[in-house]
Amino acid sequence: MIQIFDPKNVDYDKDYGTPASVSENLVTLEVDGVSITVPEGTSVMRAAAIADINIPKLCASDNLEAFGSCRICAVEIEGRRGTPASCTTPVDAGMKVTTQNPRLGKLRRNIMELYISDHPLDCLTCPANGNCELQDVAGEVGLRDVRYGFSGENHLDAEKDHSNPYFSFDPSKCIVCSRCVRACSEVQGTFALTIDGRGFDSKVSPGQNQDFLDSECVSCGACVQACPTSTLMEKTVIDAGQPEHSVVTTCAYCGVGCQFKAEMKGAEVIRMVPYKGGQANHGHSCVKGRFAFGYATHEDRITKPMVRDSIDQPWQEVSWEEALSFAATKLRGIQKQYGRESIGGITSSRCTNEETYLVQKLIRAAFGNNNTDTCARVCHSPTGYGLKTTLGESAGTQTFDSVMFADAVMVIGANPTDAHPVFGSLLKKRLRQGAKLIVADPRRIDLVKSPHVETQHHLTLRPGSNVAFINAMAHVIMDEGLEDKAFIAERCETEAFTAWRNFISEERHSPENTESITGIPAAELRGAARIYATAKNAAIYYGLGVTEHSQGSSMVMGIANLALATGNIGREGVGVNPLRGQNNVQGSCDMGSFPHELPGYQHVSDDALRAKFEAVWGVTIDNEPGLRIPNMFDAALDGTYKGMYCQGEDIAQSDPNTNHVQAALRSLECLVVQDIFLNETAKFAHVFLPGSSFLEKDGTFTNAERRINRVRKVMPPLAGLQDWEVTQALSNAMGYEMNYNHPSEIMDEIALLTPTFTNVNYERLEELGSIQWPCNDEAPDGTPTMHEESFPIGKGHFAITEYVATEERSSRKYPLLLTTGRILSQYNVGAQTRRTDNQMWHDEDVLELHPQDAEDRGINDGDYVGIASRAGETVMRAKISDRMQPGVVYTTFHHPDSGANVVTTDNSDWATNCPEYKVTAVQAVKVTEPSDWQQRYREFNQKQLGYLQKAQTKEPAVAGK
Amino acid sequence: MGNHQLTSLIKMANQIAANNTHIGDETAEAEMVANHLTKFWARSMKAQIKEYLESDGSELLPIAKKAVASL
Repeated sequence: MIQIFDPKNVDYDKDYGTPASVSENLVTLEVDGVSITVPEGTSVMRAAAIADINIPKLCASDNLEAFGSCRICAVEIEGRRGTPASCTTPVDAGMKVTTQNPRLGKLRRNIMELYISDHPLDCLTCPANGNCELQDVAGEVGLRDVRYGFSGENHLDAEKDHSNPYFSFDPSKCIVCSRCVRACSEVQGTFALTIDGRGFDSKVSPGQNQDFLDSECVSCGACVQACPTSTLMEKTVIDAGQPEHSVVTTCAYCGVGCQFKAEMKGAEVIRMVPYKGGQANHGHSCVKGRFAFGYATHEDRITKPMVRDSIDQPWQEVSWEEALSFAATKLRGIQKQYGRESIGGITSSRCTNEETYLVQKLIRAAFGNNNTDTCARVCHSPTGYGLKTTLGESAGTQTFDSVMFADAVMVIGANPTDAHPVFGSLLKKRLRQGAKLIVADPRRIDLVKSPHVETQHHLTLRPGSNVAFINAMAHVIMDEGLEDKAFIAERCETEAFTAWRNFISEERHSPENTESITGIPAAELRGAARIYATAKNAAIYYGLGVTEHSQGSSMVMGIANLALATGNIGREGVGVNPLRGQNNVQGSCDMGSFPHELPGYQHVSDDALRAKFEAVWGVTIDNEPGLRIPNMFDAALDGTYKGMYCQGEDIAQSDPNTNHVQAALRSLECLVVQDIFLNETAKFAHVFLPGSSFLEKDGTFTNAERRINRVRKVMPPLAGLQDWEVTQALSNAMGYEMNYNHPSEIMDEIALLTPTFTNVNYERLEELGSIQWPCNDEAPDGTPTMHEESFPIGKGHFAITEYVATEERSSRKYPLLLTTGRILSQYNVGAQTRRTDNQMWHDEDVLELHPQDAEDRGINDGDYVGIASRAGETVMRAKISDRMQPGVVYTTFHHPDSGANVVTTDNSDWATNCPEYKVTAVQAVKVTEPSDWQQRYREFNQKQLGYLQKAQTKEPAVAGK
Repeated sequence: MGNHQLTSLIKMANQIAANNTHIGDETAEAEMVANHLTKFWARSMKAQIKEYLESDGSELLPIAKKAVASL
């Protein structure tokens, strides 16, 4: 008897035809005489496939619900009439199934014959050759003859659609199995595809018979992956042919952490196919992960180390040894002259855990100070602070899959369908099943109005009023007696709760009294609070709209208060879920990137904790916190901070108040930048160390669910070294020895020193696929759901969150509030996506504004608009949009030339200095030319690119003469 | 040598104070602020704000003053 319950036994490379059933009731049946026991609700097709009896199929795929349209999978079942489709027939106890006999064989051949009578017979020159399910099934059923001929009416001349930059649509090859249509609706949730017409006229139609590019298609590629023929096919496969081997690795874009099979020909990636075994994405992906990988081999990649004495000089290409010794000498020289604390570094949330760990180790051990920080400073540092204070751990509480158990979901300041698209799709799936949705966002994000999703409440709060809003939510819950008294009594500190209850019950927090601050109608907010508090399982998902405020930390604590008060912590379907921006922002925080914490959030001032690190590292560690990124800039301008090592982060573009940042960078005596491109920051650098892309290295990334995923090298590093090897070499050049042979050795050291990582190692990762920390003796396989029994601090802590208005408010001079964010096709500073065809969707940043604000200013769609704040001024084109509320404008920061961050200010979160990107008071006026800053930027950029060109043209000193 | 850092530090200290003034007990509030500075501020930042308090301190909020004085 064969029994399959253990997910470890699932072969992720095999298509079982229909999705797994989660039922705990087991049913035993017989297929071709083989006895099989499977969960109730499993299809006959899947049951057979589990026993390796593979029924031919065309319209079935195990990531889609059974459809039963192709009839190729027909079987005979003893005691039943006819030949039912095995994909739509659930198993029954005692069922006896026959999958092959002459009658079924003939039936299948007849069906195939009809298909093939309207299908081109160009198999040898077809891009799907070698990977075509139609061809396979024709072979399986033994099709030898097409009696109908090919002269009748057919679709062989159907017009191709090449509009999408990444895939082609060739309807002549289409068998109308609807897999693409179903993938678009069931998996992606966009509903861009439909079958138009009936019978013979049926055809796949993007939008309303539009091109793919003009339709609502978001280019996630789920349809391409679902297509059994070459109707929807990656252009890279059309050009290069079928890949010959593949390696499973983890995407380097957002914090979802999708796993992919990098399908290769030699050392060239032909396509990325989302891996079904990926525990965060289960075989789905977005346009960035699946298609936008071409940047990795873009001609702008810099593959040779370079140095220069001053930023007004051309670069000089040098050997690794020269570059590293140049950097080491300069940094040591600075320390000698200005003191130990005069240098520091920035770890990357784009690089691996192992690389991040090494950079902070280099800073603490070789530089001898704690001046280390990471870009989490400018995105999720308030999450760390807020969740640690209230729940005891600086991380989200759930798995992504947990959302499938939520009955109500509140999304605050996050835009998952753009910024975390694969999670967005899963969330939409749950919402289509009926979970209630509350969105708190100044803008009407796509989620608010998406197909078959009903938003119960869209709370259009004013930027800057978050804490007033969350306090009002909590006030309603306490006021109306909706709190979970048992949970509070059992799981939370009594004294802190009492203080908080007294605070939050004050009438000034009521939605009626805060309406004038938040702009949310009181009745609307009360309705939302009731839904959140009374749902069996309610989950909060939040993003940078929560953290990037002067009260970011207070808002995170307010969210945690709400979850504690309603008992929505410690099981599936609930929780507090920060949606992390970058692939490894969770990991970079875990790895001790912050100036006050060693890896595992262990405070530098704790003598016992420090001693543990000192023993392993063989150095004395400073017991005082170091400088954070904004403090580094201030200190640089004051002349006390002179040297910096910056790995894989573009602070010159991503950090707020660009003028201030650039002035600080100019004042450095030695800036060492390690990156794959000459990014904006590198234009201010003295040493450039070429980095390696995620395809060129081994390591791990940790996603927003605390999930540690393996990153596997699929091609050699273009510059010869992986990033961790460069950091190690720099450390050795500075006299602090590091001798790791492989990132797994670095992970072993991390596990040794970090109590939440004790049982993490590469062998375990291979075995389990991925691990959610904490993973130690108490939780040997990791921890999918946090705080089930208790909190790391014992009891949950209610924090008092007083609303303090930001200093950044609209005035007569700056009457609008600017908020910034990102969109689906581009990624953050755009260094990667701007170097791909994703440019076709968004080749410049625009200022979105409400029609009323535009009319008041005489601004038309497409006009150039000057946007001025107290920090600076830039110019972008206007896009008039009713997604905005009057008085609020929005832009993205994907293109350096648009200078979005010239306008943002140096206001920041009170607890963590996370910049207040989401609130800048601005004025917008119609203009005709770029801003002064932009003109200066263009000049400077030209000059720096010229310096780069000079380095590269000097080239082969040997072969030259 | 400018005073970029000091300007920021004064603003930051005041902001921390403003976000911790809900307890109603000035000593306890100042202690919370002081704890925050101890835990998160670099040595040089603490030294600079202390020096400022000793030489002038006029721009610091009362709770912030009390906190800095206790460092």
